[in-house]
Amino acid sequence: MAVQAADVLAPPRATARRRQGGSLGWTGRLVLGAAALAAVYLVVTPLLSLLITAFRGPGDLLPMEKGSRWTLANLVEVYLNPSLFTDVVPNTAIFVLGSVAITFLVAFTLAWLIERTDLPWRAVIFTVVLFPLLVPGIVVAFAWTLLFAPNAGWVNVAMRTVAGLEGPGPINIFSMGGLILCQGIASVPFVFLLLGAAMRAMNPALEEASSASGARPLTTFFRVTLPILRPGILAPLILAILVALEQFEMPLMIGFPARINVFSTRLYFDLNPEDELPAYGKAAAVALLFLAAAVVLLFIYNHMIRRAERFVTVTGKGYRPTRYALGRWRIPALCFVGLYLAVAAILPTIVLVWTSFSTETGFGLDTYRTLFANPHFWPAVRNTFVVAGASASVITVIGALLAWQIFRLRFPGRGLLDVVSFLSIGIPAVIVGFAVMVMHLSLPVGLYGTIWILILAYSYRLAVSTRLSRAALIQIHPELEEASYASGGQWLDTARRVVLPLLAPSLMASFLLLFIVGFREFTIPMVLQSDDNWVLSVIMWKLQIATQTGQAAAVGTLILVFVVPVIFLLRRRLLSRQDET
Amino acid sequence: MLKVQGLTKTYATADGVFRALKGIDFEVPQGGFHTLLGPSGCGKSTTLRCVAGLEEPDDGTISIAGEVVTDRARDVHVPTFCRDIGLVFQSYAIWPHMDVFANVAYPLQVHRPRIAAAEIRQRAMEALHLVGMEEFATRPATKLSGGQQQRVAFARALVRQPKLLLLDEPLSNLDAKLREQMRFELQELVARTRVTTLYVTHDQAEALAMSDTVAVMVAGEIVQNGAPRAVYDRPRNALVAKFLGSANFLRGKLLESCSSAGIATVALEDGASTIRAAVPAGLSAGTMVDVIFRPEDATTRFDTVDGAIECSVERVVFQGGMSEYQLRLGSSLLRTVVHPSAGAQRGDRAWITVEPLRCIVFAPAA
Repeated sequence: MAVQAADVLAPPRATARRRQGGSLGWTGRLVLGAAALAAVYLVVTPLLSLLITAFRGPGDLLPMEKGSRWTLANLVEVYLNPSLFTDVVPNTAIFVLGSVAITFLVAFTLAWLIERTDLPWRAVIFTVVLFPLLVPGIVVAFAWTLLFAPNAGWVNVAMRTVAGLEGPGPINIFSMGGLILCQGIASVPFVFLLLGAAMRAMNPALEEASSASGARPLTTFFRVTLPILRPGILAPLILAILVALEQFEMPLMIGFPARINVFSTRLYFDLNPEDELPAYGKAAAVALLFLAAAVVLLFIYNHMIRRAERFVTVTGKGYRPTRYALGRWRIPALCFVGLYLAVAAILPTIVLVWTSFSTETGFGLDTYRTLFANPHFWPAVRNTFVVAGASASVITVIGALLAWQIFRLRFPGRGLLDVVSFLSIGIPAVIVGFAVMVMHLSLPVGLYGTIWILILAYSYRLAVSTRLSRAALIQIHPELEEASYASGGQWLDTARRVVLPLLAPSLMASFLLLFIVGFREFTIPMVLQSDDNWVLSVIMWKLQIATQTGQAAAVGTLILVFVVPVIFLLRRRLLSRQDET
Repeated sequence: MLKVQGLTKTYATADGVFRALKGIDFEVPQGGFHTLLGPSGCGKSTTLRCVAGLEEPDDGTISIAGEVVTDRARDVHVPTFCRDIGLVFQSYAIWPHMDVFANVAYPLQVHRPRIAAAEIRQRAMEALHLVGMEEFATRPATKLSGGQQQRVAFARALVRQPKLLLLDEPLSNLDAKLREQMRFELQELVARTRVTTLYVTHDQAEALAMSDTVAVMVAGEIVQNGAPRAVYDRPRNALVAKFLGSANFLRGKLLESCSSAGIATVALEDGASTIRAAVPAGLSAGTMVDVIFRPEDATTRFDTVDGAIECSVERVVFQGGMSEYQLRLGSSLLRTVVHPSAGAQRGDRAWITVEPLRCIVFAPAA
């Protein structure tokens, strides 16, 4: 079953429901109630604890610690401090808007070339464009520093040799420009998927009607194609801004050395300062602003998606949209695609592999031997898979149960549950990590510092699974379940023998998607790190910071080696298959 | 006005080669209404799309008003936007981001050389008036019902007074009652504007009611081409007979040789009955043939008639204005229509006679 990116990101929608409360029985009520509670625990309580922390002081105490009390001092200190508004806010704004602009330009062009033109090798290009989706952002960021660092970056060295220049440069990645470019390119695959889906969903007859009315191709593009695509473009635009706002890897790897602070890095360093105690209260106060912006964007996004649904038209016969012939634009188009793929996927892969195999004595496996002997490495490998797998399972199960309740039942608070699940898209990862940290440091439950806390924190992404399950449930007519009740089956029988098998493909897709997301996660394990719960992305960062470049590159290479076959395996299953005509 | 010759199109699919069009030829005179009629997948829409320029055939020529717009052999393909056509889609393809007026005015706005705004306004409103939608001019396109969208689609197709109007199953998305009404309106519209029309449908009632000429298409070929009555009364083979209207089939043995076309006697399979039917030339006595006649051509009586075929009533289906009788003759089930006042019941004997000229004989294909 092909999963559309759009399925995951659609907002709550009113559809016809059937009353099924009577058939639930005690098992049903128990299971569903537990799922609802879990959802609330995973999403709402961390946010509440964040809110409370902001209003409890003094700043370096935990909200529930002895000696803390209600205060506005945190907010005063943070919001009256000009540095927030002269440094962090403008930097974040420039960073977000600049990178989104670049992402959109590149992603739209790529999506157009692949969906609407006769570009050669479309299928291969499609796969390679999506390749960075599975790779942790920090790995790509690291590879880019190896390529574009002013002194020793490969590209700079090459350019200097060719042009006979001296000194550092000419390209300095550690700058606002470098940061924007890197983030822009890193976000392309995800936006590319969404824009491609919008283009594919367009009724081709609308353009054909324009042509049959006498309009030239360029006129058709501006007067029909673009206006109709507009809602399908604006919604991903808002989402891209939301995602850029929460980005952490690029600002950490590239922005920080350049002394550029954005929200996410500012929060991180407030929580992990080098020589002070973490300032929980102040960090929470900063986080509030961040969170408010994210929620506003989320509601705008919601509105955009509803508008987009108005323009969906019934297609008559399932013809595909016409593909425009590129003609003499074929070479420039291929150059553009080639340049993008080189920078986004090919060069980073080469530099990582090369660096991992270079040792003092030429090429060899020494770096790998050292890495494998590192006492942190194998536990990190295990942790990565365990946390990704466990959180994916948790979210899939809870999300499916949640979706079933929201979609099939009527009960007070149902709308709220739907909102809770949808909200989880909009919460920046660094805030999730922070909120979970504060909550569990305050609770007597001893989860802090273990991988369990990572599993808990990763599990806030309920929206993904809820949306996918909902899309699948729409296809399963309620009468199928009613037939089970009419045959004497109880809720558990119906769930196990009717709903579950029918939902299975969607559950599989949800699990895989969430596993990938968990696999590449960096922000949350960084915020919640302790000696016992390192994962692969964190270990790579630690090695790189300790200037063990070779070993860091080796970790990156190993991740790539795992990811490449997976993406080929998943391409058919998970990603919207683009047709090969 | 429209001349199509030797149109061929083949698709490569996962299961091999699919020949969508196998050499289509037809002509439509100025002001004529020509229908391509056939089941799904027969290639009628592909033919229309080739005429519109939305698809390129592998072989063949198409010319509109004397101008060759497609000629594969000489590598001529005039793009869609340069053809003087109006096209109505099955899904109407009304642009959702414009209102009704903007949809209809669009062909005039993109016209080169430019048309003055005042003239555009006047002609667009005239087109809307033609379809009875002038009050809806400022309504957003997303707020129209199916029938209204269709009218707007017609107005848009006709606003620049094209030489050729192309209609791709425009009525199939409407419910039955609306379909009848729209069919009538469409006929009026076409008659008033006298535009040359090519119509594609799978609904034989539409084809018979609206067309000057009908081409029956099956599996990429035109099987029969002619005026509706001619095709209905004298189908060329069993396929056409079955597709247009209902037909009764009987098998039998020709009892007389026919050097020229005429009336001959056929002994039916059940052994007891004979029927006199119109027979084509060149069949010899003893040939096994198919005899076809339409339910409405059979007279059904409930007392003995000389020379009639005796059957027994198996089922009577009351349909309001008439009753359909299902009569058993040996292993065949025949259908006739009778006025509902005839009170026959299951098990009664019935005698049917058919005017020989209304009975057609086909030598069955091998």
